[in-house]
Amino acid sequence: MLEVELCGLKMKNPLMLASGIMGSHVSSLIRISRHAGAVVAKSVGTEPREGYRNPVVVNYAHGLINAVGLSSPGVRAFAEELEKFRAEGRSPLVVSLFASTSEEFASLTPHFPMADAFELNLSCPHAENVGMAVGSDPELVKEIVAEVKRSTEKPVFAKLSPNVLDVVEIGKAAEEGGVDAVVAVNTVKGMSIDIVSRKPKLSNISGGVSGEAIKPIALKCVWDLYKELDVPVIGVGGITTWKDVVEFILAGATAVQIGSALFYSHRIFYSLVESLKAYTRSTGESLVELVGKAHTG
Amino acid sequence: MYCVRVEKVVKHSKDVATIVFDGILPSYPGQFVMLNLFGYEEIPLSLSSPRSVTVKAVGETTRALVDISPGALVGIKGPMGNPFTPAEGKALLVAGGIGIAPLLYLHDYLIAEGVEVHVFYGARNADEIVCLERLKSYEVATDDGSAGFHGNVVELAATKDLSSYRKIYACGPEPMLKALYKLLNERELLNRAEFSLERYMKCGIGVCGSCVLENGLRVCVEGPVFSAAKLEW
Ligand SMILES: Cc1cc2nc3c(=O)[nH]c(=O)nc-3n(C[C@H](O)[C@H](O)[C@H](O)COP(=O)(O)OP(=O)(O)OC[C@H]3O[C@@H](n4cnc5c(N)ncnc54)[C@H](O)[C@@H]3O)c2cc1C
Ligand SMILES: Cc1cc2nc3c(=O)[nH]c(=O)nc-3n(C[C@H](O)[C@H](O)[C@H](O)COP(=O)(O)O)c2cc1C
Ligand code: FES
Repeated sequence: MLEVELCGLKMKNPLMLASGIMGSHVSSLIRISRHAGAVVAKSVGTEPREGYRNPVVVNYAHGLINAVGLSSPGVRAFAEELEKFRAEGRSPLVVSLFASTSEEFASLTPHFPMADAFELNLSCPHAENVGMAVGSDPELVKEIVAEVKRSTEKPVFAKLSPNVLDVVEIGKAAEEGGVDAVVAVNTVKGMSIDIVSRKPKLSNISGGVSGEAIKPIALKCVWDLYKELDVPVIGVGGITTWKDVVEFILAGATAVQIGSALFYSHRIFYSLVESLKAYTRSTGESLVELVGKAHTG
Repeated sequence: MYCVRVEKVVKHSKDVATIVFDGILPSYPGQFVMLNLFGYEEIPLSLSSPRSVTVKAVGETTRALVDISPGALVGIKGPMGNPFTPAEGKALLVAGGIGIAPLLYLHDYLIAEGVEVHVFYGARNADEIVCLERLKSYEVATDDGSAGFHGNVVELAATKDLSSYRKIYACGPEPMLKALYKLLNERELLNRAEFSLERYMKCGIGVCGSCVLENGLRVCVEGPVFSAAKLEW
């Protein structure tokens, strides 16, 4: 009742691990792949990158704010790390890439023979020259997607930012470039100040908000993209309970990604799967039948 | 994150100090905090009592913290992580270097619970042995023989009968913990042991994944205290 096929990837359920959460080591990816329908690794770029100084994540009543700054061991070391996934991973592996030009993006894909698909990070809100910096320009997005598609036969997903005037415009550009699916959304720009020390809490001053706070924003992006695009939409942003999953699917998501909710429970994938099984049993419909259902009638 | 004020700084040596806060952090021994030293970094530190951390200067942030002045504000996230589980009867604590920090808290806690506690405490040399006055019953080991047993703390433990201890708690550098694991495994005592582990941490709250072990578990959430038998070393 939970199985989905996403751009040819056979998934045991529509729940994917979002990029950047527990995705730096193959050991945690393998562990999470036992219950998740697919896992997305931490975004990787051509060169090793330190990221920002601690504190890089703060939690508050409604979610998290992070400015990790795309820390990464670089493409070679990370490809070596992920190699073990081939033997021990229990669901498809998506490798997330960041870069500042289309050539650089395309140069990354051959390093990852173990990847089942690629996700392009066109949306990280707190790093210079990459992420959102390249993902806010429709022309550039189209060019990047087209170039990456030429470099690989595997499905390519474009991960979009909600910090733009019109997410559909960027989604359309990715579609024109030949993208296989869009992922919406990355974090929403935000910050937090400590009133005793009177200083911003993050070393980078501001960062990206994730978790429950951004769910309505992400849901609206998924709704709009589903209406205007032909490619599948993967929903992400604030999903914490099984009801959130159903909401995103009704809005048009074929699959969903979960990140910040791992802060509440390491067993989140297991418990969501169990709840969704009970839900589909009670309605008698499989989840794929519900995709976009809120748009009709 | 919230702020606490530093009430007192107790220098144990040039490089090691206990930073005492102006209030109690509700916690259990073995838990840690992410301490943000403004202008420097946020780093993980075990509590050495409900209101203190004991820190060794190994880099920029820890150096500045050891030299901090009373009255300064520091940011705190936590206490977090899984604590040590309590013991009955006799307990052994095995500390390597600054690994003594969480065990100081555990020591006082167990004694208040009426547990009979003995400590094996190893360090490179006599200067690096700190806070002995807080310990009731202990034996010291130094690599250079400048105090106590000449050798490392696991070699000291190997000379003893350990079978009467109902619980064995350890914290220290990973090579030391691995050697202790081997010793306890040989003596079939592994299921009585709990180890506090360290990994490079960024978020401290279970999302970034920088602290995961070879078995996929996070030191910041599933640890830092692990039952030794589950470590698959
Ligand atoms: C759960 C836990 C409890 C700890 N408890 C104590 C304690 O009670 N007392 C104490 O003195 N130290 C403790 N540490 C170690 C302490 O966090 C590091 O010494 C400190 O982060 C070093 O910071 P620095 O800027 O001074 O040094 P740096 O110059 O950054 O590095 C010096 C050394 O510390 C290591 N290190 C750096 N950053 C981190 C980090 N974020 N997490 C872990 N290691 C790091 C580096 O690998 C290097 O070996 C603990 C670590 C963990 C994970
Ligand atoms: C600590 C942290 C690190 C992240 N790193 C990345 C990253 O490397 N690449 C990326 O595309 N998104 C990254 N994200 C964004 C998430 O993948 C996700 O889009 C966002 O957090 C919203 O989902 P959530 O509310 O379920 O967390 C990160 C988020 C967090 C909280
Ligand atoms: S430090 Fe981020 S997951 Fe443990």
